[in-house]
Amino acid sequence: MNAIDGTDRHIVTEGAPPPSLLAIVLDTNPHAWAELHSTLPLSSALSALLVFINAHLASGNANEIVVIASHTNCAEWLYPSPRGPYPSSPTTEPNGNSSEARHNKDHVPGDPNKFRPFSLLEHSILTSLSRLVSSTTSADLASTPTTSIGGALSLALTYMSKAALLREPVANDAANANPLSALADSESATTTRTTLTSRILILSVSGDLANQYIPVMNCIFAAQRRRIPIDIVKLAGDTVLLQQASDATGGVYVKPERPEGLLQYLMMAFLPDATSRRSLVMPTAGGVDFRAACFCHRNVVDIGYVCSVCLSIFCSPTLQDNLCLTCGSYLSLRSATSKTPQVIPRKKKKKKRLGTDSATPGPSAVGTPMHG
Amino acid sequence: MSGSSSEQAYEYLVLLPRQTHTKLYEQPSTVLAVFRCMLPHLAKTIVMAMLYMPTPFSAVDLEAWFRPEGKSVKDKALSALERLHIIQAKQDATRHMHYELSKGFANSLRQALTGGGTHRSFGVPSSTPDPNKVDTEFLDAYARKQWENILFYMVGSTVGLASSAQLSQDIGLGTKKLLEMGNFVQVRSGRVSITREGFTFVLQETNAQVWSLLIVYLRHTPELGMSETDVLSFLFMLGSLELGQDYTTSTLSETQLQMLEDLSAFGIVYRSSKNAATFYPTRLAVTLTSDAGALSTSDSLSSISASRSSSQQGFIIVETNYRLYAYTNSLLQISILSLFTKLTTRFPNLVSGKLTKESITRAVKLGISSSQILSYLTSHAHPQMQKHQPFLPPTVMDQIRLWEYEGERVETTPGFLMRDFKSWDEYRDLKEYAESLGVLVWHHDEKRWFFVNGVDQLSLYMKKKVTRGGE
Repeated sequence: MNAIDGTDRHIVTEGAPPPSLLAIVLDTNPHAWAELHSTLPLSSALSALLVFINAHLASGNANEIVVIASHTNCAEWLYPSPRGPYPSSPTTEPNGNSSEARHNKDHVPGDPNKFRPFSLLEHSILTSLSRLVSSTTSADLASTPTTSIGGALSLALTYMSKAALLREPVANDAANANPLSALADSESATTTRTTLTSRILILSVSGDLANQYIPVMNCIFAAQRRRIPIDIVKLAGDTVLLQQASDATGGVYVKPERPEGLLQYLMMAFLPDATSRRSLVMPTAGGVDFRAACFCHRNVVDIGYVCSVCLSIFCSPTLQDNLCLTCGSYLSLRSATSKTPQVIPRKKKKKKRLGTDSATPGPSAVGTPMHG
Repeated sequence: MSGSSSEQAYEYLVLLPRQTHTKLYEQPSTVLAVFRCMLPHLAKTIVMAMLYMPTPFSAVDLEAWFRPEGKSVKDKALSALERLHIIQAKQDATRHMHYELSKGFANSLRQALTGGGTHRSFGVPSSTPDPNKVDTEFLDAYARKQWENILFYMVGSTVGLASSAQLSQDIGLGTKKLLEMGNFVQVRSGRVSITREGFTFVLQETNAQVWSLLIVYLRHTPELGMSETDVLSFLFMLGSLELGQDYTTSTLSETQLQMLEDLSAFGIVYRSSKNAATFYPTRLAVTLTSDAGALSTSDSLSSISASRSSSQQGFIIVETNYRLYAYTNSLLQISILSLFTKLTTRFPNLVSGKLTKESITRAVKLGISSSQILSYLTSHAHPQMQKHQPFLPPTVMDQIRLWEYEGERVETTPGFLMRDFKSWDEYRDLKEYAESLGVLVWHHDEKRWFFVNGVDQLSLYMKKKVTRGGE
């Protein structure tokens, strides 16, 4: 009889896969959507996205969703709706008994043809988005042609870390007694037990994001540290930065050849959660461009000058007063220009890759002072 | 398959014939519930990938989509989908295998996701305001009262707590009869005693209990002159309703109206009177299609809406010295615990006792298995216990099993012996397939014999092989 065996102890607890939290960052940059209008208008992209969200919620009973709009000058919550207080209990429970559901109950008409949580969610996203669009002035549009992806990413990450804390088995007691100790303890707690798997999906249409190199890089490293994959759907434009994000965090990168088939791309490549991905072959960005953006003009550079103290990158050797812009240490780059820099591009690539693959917070530590 | 509670519903559903499946899949709410609760995790991924695919999914592409190490989970997912008649494997003119979603299922699932159509299968809210509207707290209290009465009816008499005062609320003749039909209790000369199946029932989570009872109900629907499909789709609809909302009964069929009466006796729906024009689903109903814990019976006083998942409802602490502390004042919980624990002390909010050899063997003699005890203790483990993995101390788990095995040295598994294979390759191929399905129980390589506890998938596989081999 081999019935008594230490291994079968675990069978009891092995149940459904952990619930997954998906944060969708929707790039709502009007400039880019206007260009895309002929192939995929925002409205059809949005309806594809809503079907995808419903599919995600249906895939697991405790699955949750967060939708954030990354607008031209701000990042805005679309769901959970910002009107209510911070939703301490996630609002996508199938029971629909959360505060959010109650809050919205009066506004959303009961539709017998629609699953209740789905219609609540759709209503919330559409109203928030239309409010966001109508509040956008032409002055906002003129000020910048790009989108605030960095802010949206940090919103998503903060929500995820809060959700993970709330999911801890003793979270209730600990959080009530001393929230700070729970926060301090979070690193060790998440490694021992995964109660929630999170991922971020960025629906990106804007092109050049190099002006946000530092905040986005910081977010990438934070996501990497918390093992949150960042998936990218690149509908238009091309940025070095987002490719690096998906590569560094182990996410999926897809640039659809036919944007009008967005829904099928979403369903096939982006719906599987961390549990399913273990047994699937996922698409990734083929050749990743690892070039960095300089800290002075936010240009993507092939060859740059690096501060020997804080490793900030500059595109030109002419610094004001010969001081590093980031750390303020004396930095004379003129001497470097007299000799041709002996940098082999191949080697530089490899070095960069090392920096992003291992979790050493090198570049992120550099970036932090600038961020504040 | 995704949770223990819906497993029984899955087992029941699988045994239904194809026609019933096709009929069931006409309702979007049913399809959504089947998708959410019955399918293995990867099967959901496959269905979603195929849902908006314009062409059939060829088997070669599907193979390429999975990593080599994911083959066994893929086979399991596909077999579950085929058994539920959700996908069909077909061969086209060029003899290439491909998979197709069944049309009815795909259409209904698309409707459920997009919210189109006029099927009205997600419940029609009552348009006229109810003069005696009830709130969620009332519904929870009502559901808990009804359900605990049923449990108490089963457990109470065996433990000896069934004094007339505690059983004052009657649970209705229909329910009693149902419990008897499901073989959960036996009535001998007017005295109710619980059976082995009854223990299994009581020790489950509430959600699973509800399903077990409903499945007994379903099995007996033909005798009552009700259509099985109607009953099932009504149950799945109930699972997608919203708590605290009143729904009109005017759109329900005759069968469903008849069901409402029985369901309100269980506490699954609430009606203010026998012929009220509206009904309220209770928490027992709305959690039918999710694995969230339905009712916490651990603490009757606390508001159950505060506890989100079953993991936060735990109240039992077991120490390595076999002592057991349970933070509860519910008589029902205490009587369940006393089935297998030697309880010594009772405080206002706590009972303490010890798991002894005597108490466990007594429970085993009554027909409770060690795995039932362990799963009960695990699912009700206190949050403090949940910090460790596994939740219970390993020594205690092993000892409880050992105590049980002292009495039972032989284990039986009903199934089929496969033998007389023509060649080693044939034997190995089939054995490996059985292994990947998880039905292989025993094998003897030299004799080329193996034993499985499920044969329908294997025979399908063999038939397919024969047709392919005959090309």
